[in-house]
Amino acid sequence: MDTLLQLGHGLLVCLQPFNLSMLMIGIALGMLVGVLPGLTLVMGVILVLPFTYQMDVASGIILLTAMYVAGTYGGAFTAILFGIPGEPIDVPLLWDGYKMARAGQPAEALGWTLIAAGGGGIISAIIMVALTEPLAEVALKFSSPEYFAVILFGLASVVALAQSSLANALISLCLGLVIATVGTDTTYGTSRFTFGLPILEDGIEFLVVMVGAYGVGEVLARLERGYAGAPVTQTATARTELPSWRQFAAIKWTFIRSTLLGNIIGIIPGAGATVASFVSYGVEGQVGRRKAQLGTGIPEGIVAPQSAATASVGGAMIPLFAIGIPGSGATAVILGAFMLKGIQPGPQVLLHSGELIYAIFASVFLGIFIMCVLGYFAIRPLVRILDFPEAVVSSFVMVFCFIGAFSIRSSVVDLWLMIAFGLVGYLFDRLRFPIAPLVLGVILGPLAEESFLNTMISFGNDWTVFFTRPISGTLMALTCLALVLPLLGALRHWLWPHDFEETPHSQGSP
Amino acid sequence: MFRHPRTAIAWGGALLAAAALAGAPAVAQDKYPSRPIELIVPFGPGGGADQLARLTAKLVEPVIGQGVPVINVPGATGATGMAKLIAAPADGYSAAIYIADTHALLAGPDPRWKVEDLKPLAVMIQQPSAILVAKDSPYKTWADFEKAAKDNPGKLKVATVGFGSVDDFTLKHLEVKGGVKVVQVPFSKPNERYVSILGGHADALYEQPGDVAQFLKSGEMRPILIFGDKRLDGFKDVPASAELGYTVSLPQFRSIVVRSDTPAAEIKTLSDALTKVAENPEYKKFLEDSYADPDSFMPADKSAGFLARQLDDMKKAATGS
Repeated sequence: MDTLLQLGHGLLVCLQPFNLSMLMIGIALGMLVGVLPGLTLVMGVILVLPFTYQMDVASGIILLTAMYVAGTYGGAFTAILFGIPGEPIDVPLLWDGYKMARAGQPAEALGWTLIAAGGGGIISAIIMVALTEPLAEVALKFSSPEYFAVILFGLASVVALAQSSLANALISLCLGLVIATVGTDTTYGTSRFTFGLPILEDGIEFLVVMVGAYGVGEVLARLERGYAGAPVTQTATARTELPSWRQFAAIKWTFIRSTLLGNIIGIIPGAGATVASFVSYGVEGQVGRRKAQLGTGIPEGIVAPQSAATASVGGAMIPLFAIGIPGSGATAVILGAFMLKGIQPGPQVLLHSGELIYAIFASVFLGIFIMCVLGYFAIRPLVRILDFPEAVVSSFVMVFCFIGAFSIRSSVVDLWLMIAFGLVGYLFDRLRFPIAPLVLGVILGPLAEESFLNTMISFGNDWTVFFTRPISGTLMALTCLALVLPLLGALRHWLWPHDFEETPHSQGSP
Repeated sequence: MFRHPRTAIAWGGALLAAAALAGAPAVAQDKYPSRPIELIVPFGPGGGADQLARLTAKLVEPVIGQGVPVINVPGATGATGMAKLIAAPADGYSAAIYIADTHALLAGPDPRWKVEDLKPLAVMIQQPSAILVAKDSPYKTWADFEKAAKDNPGKLKVATVGFGSVDDFTLKHLEVKGGVKVVQVPFSKPNERYVSILGGHADALYEQPGDVAQFLKSGEMRPILIFGDKRLDGFKDVPASAELGYTVSLPQFRSIVVRSDTPAAEIKTLSDALTKVAENPEYKKFLEDSYADPDSFMPADKSAGFLARQLDDMKKAATGS
């Protein structure tokens, strides 16, 4: 009861005109950052940080928090409507969300993301308020071996979804991992695959690969068809946007599972919204009720990554407030904003500055609510864009891709790299070779490498620690299962083909 | 955490360009400084270098009668920001924060600039570094830790910021001078570094006490060795490294530098202005809150020698002599 009272008090602080306008600005900026492919969420928050120096603590933190929440949602629009992921967290939305939109249901696909982001965010915020102190301990249980195991599990479970050919998916993944190693290695500072070119010393940005392979690749594929793709006829008449209660109830377990997963992954300091999104999608492919259809454009494939991504926000706040350790990149910036005001979050602040903390808690709730309202009204006009001729939309997509790739580090080389990866994406698509594992490898490769090397340094090159520590051991076992189960399935299929005729394997998954 | 610092530069650069276009008309050059002085922070917003820059800018503006805009140019342990300073004209209108970690790059292979390229205006803050352990660590004192490290060479884990850093040099010095051989575990992200000892994944942490002040206040962490010749206020029973015979101590210092070919009169003006900042009570409070040495400040004439000595010490420690 006391908690609710304090939360109500915090809500009043948020509703003060200046704080409310900061909240609105934060949401708008977060959505924008989510949409722009060259600007990641963390970078966006860093850019806004200096503006908070002049404000009082509560307003500044409310601005940054609102941006963080909305940034996990904004990119869903471009991913689903145009096939360009604005953030790495939006990549899994391409597999089902974009397919659903191309199948003539863009408004429904966006409705599902709205429900997933709003519901996942709110439940995760409730967990944040109710269980801050007990859950914070989870953050301390994880170290390098566990970070590595989580990321490996994410890689394996998504790769295992490529039921058409596990071998092709692994080849694609390894290519992605090799691309990720280009540049100066973060642990020892060794140059790898740089060929003496200064631009390669800094590595190949995953954003270039992601935007090229998906955005440019998709436009090239449409160009080949002469922009004669099936028109999305229902857009003008689309009436239902939000899923009905019955539709939602049918996938409630996907929603609950993904939200909890996102929350837990958010708490872990070595993993944030991106890992949450991928792992949640992968888990859906392992245990979901309709796992065989995943990747063909079903709501589960939208709800799983989106609710996990937004739920990771509440998770990442937990260790920040309870022990002063940020759970993700964006919360690390928020910690910076606290420190500049001479406040160091931790048990002391939680105890003595309850008013401030509850104002921030309340701003998370209010932020998610306003974000959903904005999102709801944005769906219809945005879906209308698809009524424009495909050639026109594609040209805008290209412009966005170029701006995005250039803004990463203002280098023309990045534009050429992006075009090259666009060709790779197009060719992979033509040859029915999966591109998703490659992009996944480029995004998660550096994280996996750093935690792997740290483990090796820390445990005297003893690789068995991955299997002997309880949490990482469990995750490694799950990883093995994820990779072996499809093989067993294929083996059974090969030995007794008749049992399987009624459940054809999907071709569309990543 | 700043995996894509250049995005910030690109977007920030666009903003700056717009701002520059808006305020382009040239000002008559009479008395220095006749226009704002840009202060480059070679790290992202929110960190220690940034906090120092914002505070100094605020306090120095009324002294020199000009604005001091702070711009963040993060990347490559400060090397990106230094490249920007060196590319700017040597007219006293560009200065940069220069910290120990960036200085340490000069002790490594192929540094991108030389110590002679820069001239310090002042050393603003010196924070001693320390070896810290978690509250419930079995190592009550440095003697316990030293004994355990000698009994099991190469077994105890110490979390640091990375190889080739000041942290790395100091641990090498401990090994060569004192026979304390530990495993260095690099965590570039502060949150993972702190979790490593709070969660019991590493045995100790190399860090400036000022950066973990909240954990020291709450008792979650405690220092067992302070590097330098002075004990730390509030932890008077924790030994200083000089007492134990360790000759090298590499404090985390943060200075303000300009290009070395900047006119001497301009350097003097700025250094005098910073001396006034150092006397400001607000600045003294900042030093105290950061667990910094209260006599941190050094004006231009003393700073140059200090930087040179620090580099010698870093090179000595790095090569293990």
